[in-house]
Amino acid sequence: AAGVPKPLPSSGPKSLREMPHPLATSSSEEMGPALTPSPDLLLPRSIADKDLSLPNGTPVDTSSPASSSSLLNRLQLDDDLDGETRDLFVTVDDPKKHVCTMETYITYRVTTKTTRAEFDLPEYSVRRRYQDFDWLRNKLEESQPTHLIPPLPEKFVVKGVVDRFSEEFVETRRKALDKFLKRITDHPVLSFNEHFNVFLTAKDLNAYKKQGMALLSKMGESVKYVTGGYKLRNRPLEFAAIGEYLDTFSLKLGTIDRIAQRIIKEQLEYLVELREYGPVYSTWGGLEVELSEPLEGVSACIGNCCTALEELSEDMTEDFLPVLREYILYSESMKNVLKKRDQVQAEYEAKLEAVALKKEDRPKVPTDVEKCQDRVECFNADLKADMERWQNNKRQDFRQLLMGMADKNIQYYEKCLTAWESIIPLLQDKPETK
Amino acid sequence: MEDCLAKKMEITVSEAEKRTGRNAMNIQETYTAYLIETRAVESQSEGQCAPVDSLWRRYSEFELLRNYLSVTYPHIVVPPLPEKRADFVWHKLSADNMDPDFVERRRIGLENFLLRVASHPILCQDKIFYLFLTQEGGWKEMVNETGFQLKADSRLKALNATFRVKNPDKRFTELKHYSDELQSVISHLLRVRARVADRLYGVYKVHGNYGRVFSEWSAIEKEMGDGLQSAGHHMDVYAASIDDILEEEEHYADQLKEYLFYAEALRAVCRKHELMQYDLEMAAQDLTSKKQQCEELATGTVRTFSLKGMTSKLFGQETPEQREAKLKVLEEQIQEGEEQLKSKNLEGRDFVKSAWADIERFKEQKNHDLKEALISYAVMQISMCKKGIQVWTNAKECFSKM
Repeated sequence: AAGVPKPLPSSGPKSLREMPHPLATSSSEEMGPALTPSPDLLLPRSIADKDLSLPNGTPVDTSSPASSSSLLNRLQLDDDLDGETRDLFVTVDDPKKHVCTMETYITYRVTTKTTRAEFDLPEYSVRRRYQDFDWLRNKLEESQPTHLIPPLPEKFVVKGVVDRFSEEFVETRRKALDKFLKRITDHPVLSFNEHFNVFLTAKDLNAYKKQGMALLSKMGESVKYVTGGYKLRNRPLEFAAIGEYLDTFSLKLGTIDRIAQRIIKEQLEYLVELREYGPVYSTWGGLEVELSEPLEGVSACIGNCCTALEELSEDMTEDFLPVLREYILYSESMKNVLKKRDQVQAEYEAKLEAVALKKEDRPKVPTDVEKCQDRVECFNADLKADMERWQNNKRQDFRQLLMGMADKNIQYYEKCLTAWESIIPLLQDKPETK
Repeated sequence: MEDCLAKKMEITVSEAEKRTGRNAMNIQETYTAYLIETRAVESQSEGQCAPVDSLWRRYSEFELLRNYLSVTYPHIVVPPLPEKRADFVWHKLSADNMDPDFVERRRIGLENFLLRVASHPILCQDKIFYLFLTQEGGWKEMVNETGFQLKADSRLKALNATFRVKNPDKRFTELKHYSDELQSVISHLLRVRARVADRLYGVYKVHGNYGRVFSEWSAIEKEMGDGLQSAGHHMDVYAASIDDILEEEEHYADQLKEYLFYAEALRAVCRKHELMQYDLEMAAQDLTSKKQQCEELATGTVRTFSLKGMTSKLFGQETPEQREAKLKVLEEQIQEGEEQLKSKNLEGRDFVKSAWADIERFKEQKNHDLKEALISYAVMQISMCKKGIQVWTNAKECFSKM
């Protein structure tokens, strides 16, 4: 059983007073003693351990140990995770279907490569299913309520409409889960979260999950900012602006989602007609002698355009729409964090007011009011930092997404162009004089 | 082709004008009149051009001309007129005959018709055709004076012949089959093409919505704003581009339609052959039966049942004088019949020969024209693809600046 939860550089279990501010530059020395990995966590002692298996007994294939010495030597802890100093890499791939008596589900391989001291080993490979990701997200929300937690792809799918074991669906989900973990990995605070660590490394996640529940009630691990009943009078301007921005942003994304869906629908209806159109040329070709080849050529050409169009619609469905929806979900969860912040501020203001009303000549403000003030300031700082990071990532993500959309359309037209250009010589061909 | 009118004369249908007037039943109506302009082509035009002659004709006059030509030259595949009413329309096109786009396309079609006739080695020499181009007043009367309506075969007669003819020329049977199939396949093609155009229109137009939403979104963004806004503009351009693309495609559809209607002209020639062949077969049959009657009368044997035979049995035999008279009449009729049969045979053979010559000419024309049409269609598609690549490349660049 795990012992005392590791103190981490986050506004988690430790007293805020003792914590260095997340935005303050932190040096390895400060972090040093706190980062010795707890020996009590269930971590595989050796990667060559052949006992690794999933809860249901399916053996897990692990990656072979890379040369870790060079990586270990690069121990460097930095809040600032740009490409050069990155020390944690996480990938989600290799979906596999598991058929059990009770249920059928998909697991994904989660591979971690790292030089961080929080990790015993430089590499890990575990298998996780969607509910594990869901658990992780909930734990992150609980333990890091002042931060923006990336969204997960939608949990439920409409039965009969989507086949949740189809290749396309699984691949779309895999990409989204990969994105989810990468966003956490890139976050200077979330990436050091204990639950995240366990998620990436634990052989038996379910056991940890159960412990976690017990721990929760005993140790009061999560700082619940559920203050209840406090109403904020005025949201500070900058947060009001963020709230308004998110409202309009998710509205516009919703519109774009609808437009994209409509385009796909129209394209598929166009495809239906094209599929009837092409073969008629072929039928005509069967009637003719000299025109037979040209007509067949046109028929084949239209067929090629059909294929290209199919690919375009598929790509848009699988790559474009999910990312839009992800960002809409993101906006929703961010708005909730804003509301939580409002509540923390409301609590503080209420308590402050209560003190002021007492009119006692107290030289200092009571500690619990001070604590509230700290909470507010911390929350605001975390949120602002995350917002900035989010805006940057959003810009890159949408730049990539929209360029991708343009690219797919360019590729579609290029395929069609090639098809039509290639039949021109066929059409211009003079028949041999007999 | 050396002597055809098209080489000696420039012909254009240059304008269309809405007119109102009173028709034959003195009822006010609106119709469109077309201006036909002609000018003699000087073989060596140094200095002045020949003067331009012009006159106005309406569609019904074109119809009259074509009817006249079809009846007068039944062995020729007579060029068809553009459609009377707008057919095979996709939703944005108007089915209204007064719609300016329809009128414009019809103007082109009528010009094409005149040029086809003027380039035909036989048709171009027709006097009525020449007068159609050059004499406005009194032309209708002249056409009617030719009495061509009397020569026209009734539809019923033709249908009857089609069913009952026993030995039509195999080539014509095949040709009839071909023209039926051609009509069917081109109709199908035109119908589906119209639906394809409809759907494509939808795809392009929905993209226009991106323009608006990108613009609205750019308003709340700082760094991303410009890129989004300008990309949105390209989406508007993309959405608007489909109008010209589909208008151009209508010309392709018109080229197909011409051959759809040509199939009917082919059928007409086949029908004429069937009629003539049937006529021939009937005449031969009639002759045979008369010869038989003759024989019976001469020998006194009755080989076939006839009412006459019965009555004569019932009411007594004819007198030898009566029989003589009858025989004589029959022999005369047989002689006439044999001469008629001979000339019908000749007519039939001449018809087949000249019709087949024109059909070969038509086949070559058709193969050439349809190939050209397919090439121009491919060129249109290529142009559309290139425009698409251009627009999306522009949009991509805007996105890259986000």
